[in-house]
Amino acid sequence: MNQKRIIPEFWFIIGGCLLFLIIFIFSQTLNRYLIHIIVLMGIYSIATVSLNLTNGYTGLFSLGHAAFMAIGAYTSTLLAFPLHLRESYELPLLPSFLAGADGAMPFIIALIVGGLFAALSAVIIGAPVLRLRGHYLSVASLGFMVIVTTFAKTLKGITRGSMGINAIPSYTNIYWTYLWLLIAIYVVWRIVHSRFGRAMMAIRDDETASQVLGIFPMKYKLMSFVVGAFFAGVAGGLFAHFTKAIRPFEFSFTMTFQIVIMLIVGGMGTMSGPLVGTFSLMAFRYALKPVEEHLKVYGFIELVYAALLIIIMLWKPEGIMGKRQLKR
Amino acid sequence: MIPLLKVKNLSVKYGVIPALQDISIEVKTGQIVSLIGANGAGKTTTLKTIMGILKPVNGSIVYRDEDITRMPTPQRVRKEICLVPEGRGIFNRLTVRENLFLGAYHRSDEQEINSDLEKSYSLFPRLKERENQIAGTLSGGEQQMLAIGRGLMSRPKLMLLDEPSLGLAPLVVRELYELIQEILKQGVTILLVEQNATMAIRVSNYVYLIETGNVKLEGIPKEIESLEDVRKVYLGG
Amino acid sequence: MFSLGYVLQQTMNGVILGCIYSLLALGMTVVYGILRLINFAHGALITLGAFFVYFVSISYGFPFIAGIFLVIGFGSLMGLVLDIVAYRKLRGGPEVALLITSIGFYTFIENFLKLIVSPQPYAFKTPDYLNILYRTQLLTFRSIDLFIIVSSIAIMIAFSLFIKKSKMGIAMRATAENLEVANMMGIEINKVISVAFVLGSAIAAFTGFFWGAKYGQISYDMGFLTGVKAFVAVVVGGVGSVPGAMLGGFILGVAEILSVALLPTRFAEYRDGIVFAILILVLLIKPSGIMGVKEEIRV
Repeated sequence: MNQKRIIPEFWFIIGGCLLFLIIFIFSQTLNRYLIHIIVLMGIYSIATVSLNLTNGYTGLFSLGHAAFMAIGAYTSTLLAFPLHLRESYELPLLPSFLAGADGAMPFIIALIVGGLFAALSAVIIGAPVLRLRGHYLSVASLGFMVIVTTFAKTLKGITRGSMGINAIPSYTNIYWTYLWLLIAIYVVWRIVHSRFGRAMMAIRDDETASQVLGIFPMKYKLMSFVVGAFFAGVAGGLFAHFTKAIRPFEFSFTMTFQIVIMLIVGGMGTMSGPLVGTFSLMAFRYALKPVEEHLKVYGFIELVYAALLIIIMLWKPEGIMGKRQLKR
Repeated sequence: MIPLLKVKNLSVKYGVIPALQDISIEVKTGQIVSLIGANGAGKTTTLKTIMGILKPVNGSIVYRDEDITRMPTPQRVRKEICLVPEGRGIFNRLTVRENLFLGAYHRSDEQEINSDLEKSYSLFPRLKERENQIAGTLSGGEQQMLAIGRGLMSRPKLMLLDEPSLGLAPLVVRELYELIQEILKQGVTILLVEQNATMAIRVSNYVYLIETGNVKLEGIPKEIESLEDVRKVYLGG
Repeated sequence: MFSLGYVLQQTMNGVILGCIYSLLALGMTVVYGILRLINFAHGALITLGAFFVYFVSISYGFPFIAGIFLVIGFGSLMGLVLDIVAYRKLRGGPEVALLITSIGFYTFIENFLKLIVSPQPYAFKTPDYLNILYRTQLLTFRSIDLFIIVSSIAIMIAFSLFIKKSKMGIAMRATAENLEVANMMGIEINKVISVAFVLGSAIAAFTGFFWGAKYGQISYDMGFLTGVKAFVAVVVGGVGSVPGAMLGGFILGVAEILSVALLPTRFAEYRDGIVFAILILVLLIKPSGIMGVKEEIRV
């Protein structure tokens, strides 16, 4: 009995080692541009995998995921920003108990704190918003995202407003990214294949029925929402320290839409769906990018993405990796 | 006499679950025919299929010598079949008048519609009193009358009545059944579905007993009533 | 602190924004009432309408009146296309599917416009007769302001009468309440839905013209936030209620403008946040909105 239970983790470790081997080879052999893309794929995958927990497995169609990424991005940036640059970039100094000797937190800690902050805001916003049904939830979460970006624009003392923060040191590398992705996948996998996951899926399929079975929906909805937010926050932090600059308008609906479409095309509610969706769509994007720049047709890729979403929704709504559900 | 409605070997499935299996029913003009049986036996399913809301996987529905098995619902309404759904199915947020008016939706003869409206009011005087009231505020019995009145507005030749006595007090039920017989006199053939078998059998010309999607028994009321099993299970001994 | 004139002026601006939100909310509430669909694509119609009028009247020099009539037709057509191509197929499926698809459509149209007309905003010049300045003791306004208010009220009255009295209007209300029973009674559901889409879209396209004329500038992304805010208006006023939609629109428009006008200038950027804060507040206190009916969850 015991032997059977260690096998899945075992595979994760083996898979993880293999993954890092591959990444190592990549990092030594591929050019910088490709590595850049691969890291971005990893970061977005974390976002998609975490959104899958909320949207795919619990059926809460949140449209505000970018808000959590924003919170994670800003928080980790402010915590890890090198002391000697803070004055020149008009960023506040950290109180001494938070910072180390060099007035800034180590990257990994800053990342985790960013994620925790995002998770905390998920608890705060989740309590009222998650009570709502379907569409109302989506629009309310969208509203939450607008509110967060509004604050990002207005709290100029902390966030430098619409100008955003530049010169963020690039702490993110391919190893950190994929380590976090592995952690995210593992956590989601564990939750899904546990009684929590079963409860979440019950709520997704029929909330009233699940209540009759003795499940308190709020507890599980909040759990998936918060876990999802945590990893989104981490993804945001990785994003900030990779692209080296963040501005409020980046974390707008466009970003949420990208993540949502990658999730849906790949297949909501499946483990491999978000990964397939993210990798294929991003590969597609970067393949088409030269065309867009050459012909100066900006917005073309988004157009294709949107068309793809419509086509998938009309003909294969369960996504590439999904299984068709029984018609109600 | 050619039957008004002839249902032959009708089979209906909900997904993969069979709801009706090989049901055959006949309704002759000027009759009241009842479908009785327990909850979930398939009576409402039968009515819905006749109305076109559900599609059969097998069998045929012939109405006035025309095969309507594949006809869309609005067209069936135009052919003068109407359904008074289970639970009344009135629009609670609309007024009494608006509900009645909708019954004549597919008709374009405005003059006639207005005269029919008056006819309904003479049949159901209480509805006239509450003409501009919101339908949701009516009592159960009044709502049932509204539902029937609405059905009548489409000038049906065949009325499908789904459990009209559901949730109504016995006194009201009696009034209701008097009304049903009045409607019959005005030339509407009625296919009645009831759990309240006693009342249904009393007014019918012919009875079908449906059990788990099949016609278990059929016959004239006297025969059905006399069967001891039926008496025990459906008529309270 | 604030002069009466200033407050009145800003209230008027709020009313005009309210007119726009109300008209949009009308279209959205009927569609939502019947289909339970938040039509994100509704916002795209504003942008399409604005650019349509721009090209027809400003670029090609057709008289504005013609442009206005044409945009109504154009809007209706787009609405019909959306209905037939997409939503009809998805009806009866999970509600989320409709939402996602409408987002897809919005994004498609927005980027389509971005490609065709360029990411830069365009200046929307209205003909002189709409620009006549009126100066009174307390208020200063242009004829366009008057035009918007008057035509909005006219449209709202016409729409309300239609919904209340006409055969199709009653059928729409019935379908919104109970689609299955409406179907059972022989109401052609597809036709009812198409009418809802066409009406809403035509009004939305027309609103695009208002926006351009009032604010002088149109861009490919002008529709998104406005569309979502219109939905906020729908929620505030009460989902599925026509008078509620109009009420919600005005409340939101006036609240948005006045909050910016009366708070210190540094709060101006909170504008959008305030709108959504109102949404969340309403959803917490009275989700059915001011005039809404409590929706029962069918088990």
